Amino acid sequence: MTDPRTIRIVIVDDHHMFRTGVRAELTSLAATPRAGGFTLEIAGEAGAVESAVQVITQEQPDVVLLDVHLPGGDGHGGADVIRACAAVQSRAAVPVRFLALSVSDAAEDVIAVIRAGARGYVTKTINAEELLTAIGRVADGDAVFSPRLAGFVLDAFGAAAGEVAEIDEELDRLSAREREVMRLIARGYQYKEVAKELFISVKTVETHVSSVLRKLQLSSRHELTAWAMGRRLL
Amino acid sequence: MQTAYENGTGPARPPGSTWRTTPRPPLVRQRQGKVIAGVAAGLAAHLGIPVVAVRVALVLTSIPFGAGLAVYVFLWATMRDVGSVDPAAVTPPSATTPATAGPAGPTGPTGATGASSTPPAATTTRHPIDLAALRTWLRSGNQAVLITLLGVAALAVAGALWLGSAGLDVHVEVILPVVAIVIGAIFFWSQLDDTDTLGARRPVRWIWLVVGLGLTILGLVGLLVRGTNLTELWQVAGAVLAALVGVAVLSAPWILRLWSNLRVEQAARIRATERADIAAHLHDSVLQTLALIQRQSGDAAAVARLARAQERQLRSYLYDEGARAGTLGAALTAAMGEVEDLHGVPVQLVVTGDRPMDEHLDALVKAVREATWNAVRHASPPVSTYVEVGPVAVEAFVRDHGAGFDLDTVPDDRAGVRESIIGRMERHGGTARIRRRADGTEVELRLPVSQPHEPEHPSPSAATAPDPPVPSSATPPSGTTSGSTPDPQTQEQAS
Repeated sequence: MTDPRTIRIVIVDDHHMFRTGVRAELTSLAATPRAGGFTLEIAGEAGAVESAVQVITQEQPDVVLLDVHLPGGDGHGGADVIRACAAVQSRAAVPVRFLALSVSDAAEDVIAVIRAGARGYVTKTINAEELLTAIGRVADGDAVFSPRLAGFVLDAFGAAAGEVAEIDEELDRLSAREREVMRLIARGYQYKEVAKELFISVKTVETHVSSVLRKLQLSSRHELTAWAMGRRLL
Repeated sequence: MQTAYENGTGPARPPGSTWRTTPRPPLVRQRQGKVIAGVAAGLAAHLGIPVVAVRVALVLTSIPFGAGLAVYVFLWATMRDVGSVDPAAVTPPSATTPATAGPAGPTGPTGATGASSTPPAATTTRHPIDLAALRTWLRSGNQAVLITLLGVAALAVAGALWLGSAGLDVHVEVILPVVAIVIGAIFFWSQLDDTDTLGARRPVRWIWLVVGLGLTILGLVGLLVRGTNLTELWQVAGAVLAALVGVAVLSAPWILRLWSNLRVEQAARIRATERADIAAHLHDSVLQTLALIQRQSGDAAAVARLARAQERQLRSYLYDEGARAGTLGAALTAAMGEVEDLHGVPVQLVVTGDRPMDEHLDALVKAVREATWNAVRHASPPVSTYVEVGPVAVEAFVRDHGAGFDLDTVPDDRAGVRESIIGRMERHGGTARIRRRADGTEVELRLPVSQPHEPEHPSPSAATAPDPPVPSSATPPSGTTSGSTPDPQTQEQAS
């Protein structure tokens, strides 16, 4: 509508049936005009780490839908793909963005793929419309947090227990505002609902979420890893 | 096997019929209720006679010529351990330990009294010698071996006295080395039985091996020298040592190979058991559900409900949520599962933090369940439930996307909201608030909780104090061990 751009995506999943399903859902939905202001082009598919790296390098997509568990590579599945493709840029000369898509809610899976560089994590039970929104958001360089990921972040940063950073730059704790945003996302609020609730713009919400993502990727807070090892997401 | 035996001696059943109705348990050494190596207990279970009778018979037959002892050693060497027969039988002993504390009684007290010569001193912890460790070493080690040693000594004395009274010439220089050899062998062999009463492996105690070997060598040398000629002693000792070393060198490759083969077999067996467990679980759950789904494939709602329920069950199996039993998180997961099952609407549940259940939290879970139940019935999905366990309060949010409802317009006879949610929360000192939003309703529940049960939730000041290790606020009870190790780097940055 306002921005009739095309987002090119690559689907990486070792289940052929799932790839077909996602492709069918996304193409039918992306054809309708209300699909978020962009058209979608599925540039390729892959079912293993090596073939994924090859397809991504060749196709230079904007967004990669990435399964967490994949055969091949060093045995780290999706995280291996992200690391191998770290230098690859899309045709618009921005880094390729990764959106993790998994059936697993296990914390070690979430943390591994986010810390490798994924910009979002959604479970495969997400409906097609939400998935499309998530793809658009990731393509814009923003982060996509599911309620579960938000809950995980609150837990891992100790925010649920009341730990709040005094300055925003602190990597190991969330700022008060980030904590509020995370709590609302965990409560099932969409970004625009979060914005309305906190009297801020959607863009500000996106900034906060991206900042949390950065902390999640860079923090050395030992609970992040200890927690991920010792516990799984609900 | 134990249970079969107990069934067999049950008062309700005539003894004659037990031989037909219950299959005879295999002849294996028991771990439960064993005194030495479990031979008597195993024999009793196999024959279906009281274990006391077996023990008395063994002791009585041992006294004149040691026949009982010989039988015992023979059986010990030939009977397999209970765990080596059926891997599934390894679990019952540990699972039923509390229940079988009675039968195991003879072992416990004996071991405790046998080793209790040291305990009074053991309470003084600053003793240069670690008495507590010595005590546990003695106790875990082997009251069985100690009892055996006492038995052998008594037997030797009795034998010597008997021979002496029979008018035979008692050669002390023969008897002492033989006794030494026997004791050494017992020390040595005691390490063969490398499982303790609960079925857990215990490490081989090398000191026992060394003592056993030393005693055996001394005995052999003493026997050969016959105690008289000191000059011959060194030659004989050298010869014995050389022979032993030669045997050890020759047999070492075979023993090593046997050992590694055994290891491989053990690993394979463990894998097979695990595989069988998983297969059984999948068969009982996933395959059954898939069959149901195929039969009801016309009914989309039923299929979705079945699939969702199965997914939940499989997740809880994979992620071992049984370990969290008795906590708020587990109770909430179960409650949301019920709601999903009843109405077929998926509920997105997120819980941060966790704590053990109590009656107030139980009320909270019920209120959350009621709110979610309302949401799935009257509103449209997605329904989200978020529960945050904080240091001073547990907060719960149930959000839906329906048209919402106004509390004032809800008729008084509808007990749901007013009574089950608001009233319940207030009775337990909490609050409930219902917010109508443009696109749905949100129920907010808040329940103040007493100070944290464990020091895992730091006060805000604790995080800034550099001294104590920052307790892992993020770590729920299940993960306290992983979170309790302080990380210097994190400390620095936190302070």
